[in-house]
Amino acid sequence: MNLDQTLLAAAMGLPLLLLLACASARLRRRMPALFVLAPLPALAAALWAGHDSMLVLGNTRFALRFALDLPGAMLLGCAAVLWALAGMFAWRYLRERADSDGLVVCWLMTLTGCVGVFLAADMIGFYFLLAVLSVGASGLVLQGEGPQAVRASAIYLGLALLAEAFLLAGLILLAQATPDGSLLIRDAAAALPGSPWRDLTLILLLVGLGMKAGLVPLHFWMPLAYGEAPIPAAAVMSGAVVKASILALIRFLPWSTALPDAGHALALIGLFGAIYGVLIGITQSQPKLILAYSSVSQMGFLVAVIGMGLAAGDTGTALAAAFYAAHHLLVKGALFLAVGVVMLTGRRHRWPMLVPAAVIALGLGGLPLTGGALTKYAAKDLLGEGLAGSVAVVSSIATTLLMIHFLRRLSAMTAVEADARAPAAMVTAWLAMALASLLIPWALYLAIPIDTLPKAVAPAALWAALWPVLVGALLALGLDRLGTRIPQVPAGDVGEVLYPLEDASMAAGGWCERVDAFTRRWAVSCIALLLVSLLFGWTLMVG
Amino acid sequence: MSPAAPVNLTTPGGLLLVLAVLLPFAGVLLGLVLGGRHAQRVAWLTILLGIGVVLAITRASLGSGASLVYLLGGWAPPLGVALRADGLAVCMMLVVAVVVGAVGVYANGDFGTPAGQRETRAALAFWLLLLAVWGSLNLVFVSGDIFTLYVALELLTFAGVPLVALDGRAETLQAALRYLVYALLGSMFYLLGTFLLYGAYGTLDIALLAERVGAQPVTWMAAALMTAGLLAKTALFPLHLWLPPAHAGAPAAASALLSALVIKGAWFLVVRLWVDVFPGIVSLPAAQLLAALGASAIIVGNIVALRQARLKLLIAYSTVAQIGYLFLMFPLVQALNATQQGNAAAVTGGLLQAISHATAKAAMFMAAGLIYSTLGHDRVADLRGAGRALPMTITAFALAGASLIGLPPSGGFLAKWLLLSAAIATAQWWWVLVMLVGGLLTSAYVFMVVVRAMAPAAPGWSPKKQVPGYQQAAVLGLALCSFLLGLAALLPFDVAQIGRAVVPLVGSP
Repeated sequence: MNLDQTLLAAAMGLPLLLLLACASARLRRRMPALFVLAPLPALAAALWAGHDSMLVLGNTRFALRFALDLPGAMLLGCAAVLWALAGMFAWRYLRERADSDGLVVCWLMTLTGCVGVFLAADMIGFYFLLAVLSVGASGLVLQGEGPQAVRASAIYLGLALLAEAFLLAGLILLAQATPDGSLLIRDAAAALPGSPWRDLTLILLLVGLGMKAGLVPLHFWMPLAYGEAPIPAAAVMSGAVVKASILALIRFLPWSTALPDAGHALALIGLFGAIYGVLIGITQSQPKLILAYSSVSQMGFLVAVIGMGLAAGDTGTALAAAFYAAHHLLVKGALFLAVGVVMLTGRRHRWPMLVPAAVIALGLGGLPLTGGALTKYAAKDLLGEGLAGSVAVVSSIATTLLMIHFLRRLSAMTAVEADARAPAAMVTAWLAMALASLLIPWALYLAIPIDTLPKAVAPAALWAALWPVLVGALLALGLDRLGTRIPQVPAGDVGEVLYPLEDASMAAGGWCERVDAFTRRWAVSCIALLLVSLLFGWTLMVG
Repeated sequence: MSPAAPVNLTTPGGLLLVLAVLLPFAGVLLGLVLGGRHAQRVAWLTILLGIGVVLAITRASLGSGASLVYLLGGWAPPLGVALRADGLAVCMMLVVAVVVGAVGVYANGDFGTPAGQRETRAALAFWLLLLAVWGSLNLVFVSGDIFTLYVALELLTFAGVPLVALDGRAETLQAALRYLVYALLGSMFYLLGTFLLYGAYGTLDIALLAERVGAQPVTWMAAALMTAGLLAKTALFPLHLWLPPAHAGAPAAASALLSALVIKGAWFLVVRLWVDVFPGIVSLPAAQLLAALGASAIIVGNIVALRQARLKLLIAYSTVAQIGYLFLMFPLVQALNATQQGNAAAVTGGLLQAISHATAKAAMFMAAGLIYSTLGHDRVADLRGAGRALPMTITAFALAGASLIGLPPSGGFLAKWLLLSAAIATAQWWWVLVMLVGGLLTSAYVFMVVVRAMAPAAPGWSPKKQVPGYQQAAVLGLALCSFLLGLAALLPFDVAQIGRAVVPLVGSP
């Protein structure tokens, strides 16, 4: 085993080891202190592991394989930073909680799944770790203290498993089309354009991954889950966990072949979600829900970038999308932590907390010189000048508007006691995360040849980034005038249709129960036995 | 694909097959003679020896890479009776040994007779019936001719029926009678088919029959009767009237045996008949019909399970649904045979489904038993506190549930992957749909139970009874077996295909 493989094994191994150690109640109680350390091997792997070697577990008949590519390394590194700092926050958060076991187990399970999905190079391992991730994350939602936590968790898990059912069908089609039975994601993506079931495979994969990415109209799990999950859990879920679907899109789609139909459809759905998320977001009053809808919007935008890249067959898409995702990962994670900190901070001490939040929140809208402006700049060429490009500008304006709305709601929810201060560990975690989300995008931009620096800081580029932010700010003033006249939309908007659906399914369930009771009568059962044998005789005869 | 041409010689290690069948029955007789508290000791001795025998069979079979054969009295079929163990049989025997071992450990708690305590009739009956079930199942797996199979099946039924009524309450007696009468109907159908085949072809040996049967009305009739009879004994929807009350009413350890193992006996026989005896006779429409029954079992069983108020009934209906999965393999086998690709993917998939269901369902029933002892009830709506009192057991329930849902790395996932691959390779996408929807429905009730069990107990609540740690460990061990079964793909050999035509698995992990 060389150094690269050791790094990969450690990245996966440490969280898994800690998860298994949770079987002991004594160790489980001490586990939160190790939350900070658990993702560090993943960070090391992201920084130093080479991108050529592969970790293979198993034999020649079947093996699980793990490897890292550049987009994977970018996202893994950022995710590791978020997991470590949110872990610190969670550790402090758990000290005040009577019952910590569930959160500890689910935290480590989600971390294992998250790191694993970023590293998985074969389809079986990917599917497996995605399932671990989904189950763990639904457990995290369940740890919320609100009355709706169970429902939110059930919807999260239900949609995740539904998405995975689509994915499983897609993966099996991929595996059937891949030459020599290779199960490597790389090979499958390369073979996809030539597959006899190309369109069906693409639809299954895009539907499955789109659901996990929170594309409208199957996005409603997102506000429900992030609204109910405990703050540190919401931070890692909205930041790191949801990016698994983006990385999967990057890895499974064939970038060297232009697929205009699928690409444009994906872009259209994504852009619609980008605007829709903002529109619903401004009707919300809880900061966590506003952030959740901002995620709906941002993920929509990100998927649109991927869709346009797919339509054009642009090989640069992978990197640009990963860069955008990495920035969103850091910022969204940081903002959720900010919500947790501000809630515990009194009026007198709130400004040092709110100012960094304002800077990175506006960064999402593309405030010049922030990471957000860089990522939007990198994605600009992919979207082009046409409709998609215009929608991107509108999305910048709308995001700014939404973020200002968020900041106003955030500053209104400080602790009752004017002199209160949030615990030091939480404040440290939040400020470190804010710093990370400002610096890391620059570091990535400079370290990885995405585009040249002078172009990004040229006056024209700066102005192009600045004016949508200004327009957004003006609109925010207008929104403020509207005040209470904005309608209130319940969290999970279209998810409300689930209530009548639940009634309908109860009725269908009752019908099934009657069928069961009917077939279990003696007379019916005996006739059924005769009928079955006659039917078999007949089908054998005609065959 | 028919099995390897009839081997008319006893192979080395063939005697082990006789031992695997005789040992449990010898245990039953010895236990009956010694009686009382000795029955448990005899049962344990037999279980340990029996596991040794099964391991030796596995070793012999892996070593030779071919079926084990034993000719009783040295007489070759059609005159004599042959015992044969191919890869399928060896796999099933291994699983049965594992499940019997785990149920045995668990039953020490419920049916143990510690010194100083009065002997009970239920305990004596349980230990003897446990061995009888085991012996008859082993006979089902190794029998080489369809009449011995009939005998084995009857033994299995007669061992299973009293297990239902161990506690002697009126309702369980009624459930047991229901089971007995309906199973007898099934046996009649099967026996009628056997007579027809013997009359037409003059042999009962599976391998010889496979060579001789021709496509003519008598074969069709025999196949239809035998299949219908076996389905009644497997409780495939809509022939499942006896299963829910029987499996839900029996004591937990007995439910585990019945749900995990006993129904697999009749299912295994359907596989033997359809895959080995009638491969040329079975038509695709007939296979589709069988799978359609399976699909309706999956849908109805899962939905009805979701609506049960009692945990044991929920698990029993989950069995109704899971039986459906076992029958989805037939049209895939049939279609794969037609494409000349070899049916290995579908057969192995079906087998894995049976194995993972056996281990997972046994674990679930025993977990339900522990929950019942701890809470004093098993109402699904009020499982609060179970997670706190029995963390290992609830983990086991969740792991077993993951296997039923088909989450990786469970055996259920590997089975699903193989079956789905086969379904897609043969362009039968509707079975894909059924399998995926079934998985979602399963996840709904597993989630419901686990979440409710994890809820904190009411203040001041204390367990009704302290459950011994070894019982919890047995349940968790079995659930882990099921959950980690998918890792069998990492093994360098393929036990299931021993003694069968060897074809590389299509698109398999």
